[in-house]
Amino acid sequence: MDKVIEVKDLVKDYGNIHAVRGISFQVNKGEIFGLIGPNAAGKTTTLRIISTLLQMTSGEIKVFGYNVAKEPDEVRKYISYLPEEAGAYKNLSGKVYLEFMADFFSDNLEEKKEIVERGMRIANLGERIKDKVSTYSKGMTRRLLLARALMVDPKLAILDEPTSGLDVVNSHQIREMIKNFSKKGTTILLSSHNMLEVEFLCDRISLIDEGIIVENGSPQELKEKYKANNIEEVFMEVVR
Amino acid sequence: MKNFYTLIKKEVRELMTRQMIFSLVFMILMFGMMGKFVGGIKEEAQKSVSFAIVDLDKTPFSQTVVETLGGEKNVIKENNLEEALNKAKEKDIKALLVIPEGFEKDVEEMRGAKLEVYSILKGLGIGDLSSSGMIKSVINNINEKIATSFVQEAIPGKNPQDIMNPIRTKEFVVVRDRTVRGSPEMIQGLVTSQSVMIPVILMIVIMYSGMMVITSMGMEKENKTLETLLTLPVKRSYIVTGKMVGSALVALIMATVYMIGFRYYMSSFMPSVESTPILKDLGLAMTPLSYFLLGTSLFLAILVALSLSMLLGLFAQDTKSAQTMNMPLVILVMVPFFLLMFKDIRTLSLPLKILVYAIPFSHPIIASRALIFQNYFLVIGGMLYMAIFAGVAMFITIRIFNTDKVLTAKFSFKKRK
Repeated sequence: MDKVIEVKDLVKDYGNIHAVRGISFQVNKGEIFGLIGPNAAGKTTTLRIISTLLQMTSGEIKVFGYNVAKEPDEVRKYISYLPEEAGAYKNLSGKVYLEFMADFFSDNLEEKKEIVERGMRIANLGERIKDKVSTYSKGMTRRLLLARALMVDPKLAILDEPTSGLDVVNSHQIREMIKNFSKKGTTILLSSHNMLEVEFLCDRISLIDEGIIVENGSPQELKEKYKANNIEEVFMEVVR
Repeated sequence: MKNFYTLIKKEVRELMTRQMIFSLVFMILMFGMMGKFVGGIKEEAQKSVSFAIVDLDKTPFSQTVVETLGGEKNVIKENNLEEALNKAKEKDIKALLVIPEGFEKDVEEMRGAKLEVYSILKGLGIGDLSSSGMIKSVINNINEKIATSFVQEAIPGKNPQDIMNPIRTKEFVVVRDRTVRGSPEMIQGLVTSQSVMIPVILMIVIMYSGMMVITSMGMEKENKTLETLLTLPVKRSYIVTGKMVGSALVALIMATVYMIGFRYYMSSFMPSVESTPILKDLGLAMTPLSYFLLGTSLFLAILVALSLSMLLGLFAQDTKSAQTMNMPLVILVMVPFFLLMFKDIRTLSLPLKILVYAIPFSHPIIASRALIFQNYFLVIGGMLYMAIFAGVAMFITIRIFNTDKVLTAKFSFKKRK
């Protein structure tokens, strides 16, 4: 099986705070992989390091064979990252924002047009796509940002809490969207503290707590292993 | 390169908001109105001052004075001062000149004749205060004529000017190997324009461009767009330079509007500086090469400001803190601005001299004066220093952008435990 991400003994310290304490995992091509854990478990730090935003204290990460620490420019060609607390440029309209982002992924006008149209379909904002981002609700902004991350058909989408702060309807739509994209061949690495979401979306998960991966496997395997009804129960059992 | 242009375009679109365009239009209107207003006051002050004369002497000599001051049309035919003043107030006249009885006699007998001048003030504006000044200059003229005729009568065959002003000056200005007849005041216009206009232009452009760059970084952090931007497949050096160029373009538009307005406002009450013959004779006129070097010097100063602002912008957490982050830049511009406006660099003490030379923004100001004297060594030296300074600041900024400090850097005034 092709490995898209290989994380080995990853450590990240912020001064005296040990955010990540030597974790290792792999993500295979085409799968949805979830990093699951409570707040401050080290999920976002791990995703930010893989996305080339933060530098690791020690360890090694490879994305499509490229070393994240040594070849960040190469890694950025393959990834599309959606931060948990992201925003869009407020003075641009939703459409202009998508056009701006599409500019970085294609030189061909036709192709760029296709990317933007795909983005508008994913965002599903109707006529509001022509309005300024500053007038959008939180849900609308999140849908625009997810559209930005997925419209370029990335080889690897890194989504940090993709449904964070959204209502039930919006969250459901976004989960469906992620699932469909994965079927098209995009590898997805996501983080969440919503255990139900993880169960619905992920092929495999790693449970992370206080910077350490405490368990690995598919949701089904883990439920069977711990004789639990859902991942929430698995997690509680593991960290007990 | 395409990505670079895309970043510049985005930067301009983000910064050129409706509010900013509105403030630019407002600024143009404000300067226009101020210029018109101040120009109007000046025009009013320059208009021949309305005054009236009361001739209580009624002699041939007092008649001559009346004629010199504009003739019968200005005369108020009243026989006492109080009535004349009331009439003057009614007619909105600003000054009343009274020729008292016995005036001719006092002049003839050289007893120091007195003309009384009553300035009628209705306010404290420039126009209101200029009336007596104008009348005094006319009286001085009359005085000189009377004195000349007295001297001519007393000492015939001599030039009255040689007796009234036995010592006169013959002034020369020496610049390097050239000596030209004239006074230093004659080159005052050029010196003023170089020592005021250049620093003002520099200050406006630097403050605006610095503010734009820092605000742009603050906005990226406040709107949480920086993380996404940094994970795009674009070189970090493009992000840095794209931000600098985009912000500089917006700043230049703002600064140009501001400067045009400022110039219009200043020209409404300041005479324009033109190349006078003395400047050419002294070889002090700015040559095309001087203008080129001055332009390059200003450009390098802007480059320094932009690269320094990018560095400072790294510490801005939002648009509010961006305003504070601009302070060091403002101080660096203000110090040479005020020091060099009043003093020449050569007259400063050694520590101040070192300080001024060390601040990169001093160099265009120094250059603007050094170029008049064709002191190219000082100018080019300053340019080299600014180029190195900007290069180092940009190198450090790009290095930081290539690390995670771009996201984590912040100033903390709290004590570490």
